Amino acid sequence: MTATSSQLDDMRRAIREADPQLSRFDPLPRIICLDDFDRGMCGWTQLVGNYEDTLDAMLPGYAQHSHAMLSTLPNWDFGSHGGVDGSYALKIATRPKKGAQNVAIKRLTFRKPGPIRLEAYFSFKPEATELQLSETDIRSFGFLYDLQVGDQHGAGGERVMPHLRFLNALDGAHVQKWQFKRRTTPIKPIGSAGKTISHYHLAPDDWEDLPGGEQRLCYNEIPTKVNWHYLRFDFDLATMRATGFQVNDRSFDMSTYESIRIPAMKNLWCMLNLGFFAETDSDKRAFAYLDSVCLSGDF
Amino acid sequence: MLPENLTAIVARNETWTGEAATEPYEAGWAKEAIVFVRALKPPKGTLPQARIEISADGLHWAPEGSLFDLPASENAVTFQRLAHFGNFLRVAVSLSTGAEITVLVSLHLKA
Repeated sequence: MTATSSQLDDMRRAIREADPQLSRFDPLPRIICLDDFDRGMCGWTQLVGNYEDTLDAMLPGYAQHSHAMLSTLPNWDFGSHGGVDGSYALKIATRPKKGAQNVAIKRLTFRKPGPIRLEAYFSFKPEATELQLSETDIRSFGFLYDLQVGDQHGAGGERVMPHLRFLNALDGAHVQKWQFKRRTTPIKPIGSAGKTISHYHLAPDDWEDLPGGEQRLCYNEIPTKVNWHYLRFDFDLATMRATGFQVNDRSFDMSTYESIRIPAMKNLWCMLNLGFFAETDSDKRAFAYLDSVCLSGDF
Repeated sequence: MLPENLTAIVARNETWTGEAATEPYEAGWAKEAIVFVRALKPPKGTLPQARIEISADGLHWAPEGSLFDLPASENAVTFQRLAHFGNFLRVAVSLSTGAEITVLVSLHLKA
């Protein structure tokens, strides 16, 4: 590192640390987006499944998805909870059926295949339909990228889908560990024009434990109180490998982490999609909340 | 910055029979809303009016008072304008035996 670039880094860090919105993140040099849901939906939308001719062609895993919402985390017993530093958070709600999932997604492309960093403040809770703590009613909270190499990559280019979820509970057991997956469902053609396919990468099968990924997160003492958690996921678009993962005070070894990998598709060059999801383990709605998301890159 | 303005698809290709409703949607930031309902397939039987329901908590629902027709044929559209609805919103219907409608329901919300 030259003296000039070191001075630039010092100045950049000083400016960011003086800005309350940025001071709680540790972004790479270039901020791609800083989504604070006090400003609105910030480009986060519903993950709709692929279809052709009829919506009946959509895979059921996607058909269940619905629109995320701007929430004050309102509760029947004490009212609005609010976010880390404002009134609103993005709320991802499942339907009230065991195993139901929902996803919020942001769709971008990248301009340099290099390091990117995803940071977020998140929380999750089941719908408070009972006067019980209900700590095992949410199956998981998680996030994913959907990435593809650029069109000049040449042979062997891949679509790469890093997934991580916090398996909170499974069939009533309070599991509390991070998992990843490297397999998706078989690719299924959609319609007859030969233009569209689909696969459900959030299928409940094929999740694998992240070694050392057990983590006890704060979940508070009644079904309506939440605490916000910090997460950071580092990924290198040049090598398509994860390089770091931190949640609150814990950093995890990613040396055995792997992503879903499928051959590059003809229409997804430089894709940089990011998504967060919730999954319920009971016949109650699971709510995942994002206070804010910061995506940054080294370019 | 322009005020928030959101189109939220709250039911897509859902077939309603008996007692049915859209999932709870939080829209406390919005001062006004229009709900559109489009029939994606030919409806069956005698269709009742749909009602708007509001809720303090997303758990306990009360009729807001607005009633509006459901679309009577495939791709027909009906709508209801709303204001002053608090936070949670949904569209609910009570269909009699034999009645069925497959819908696309969208909320158009403005701060």
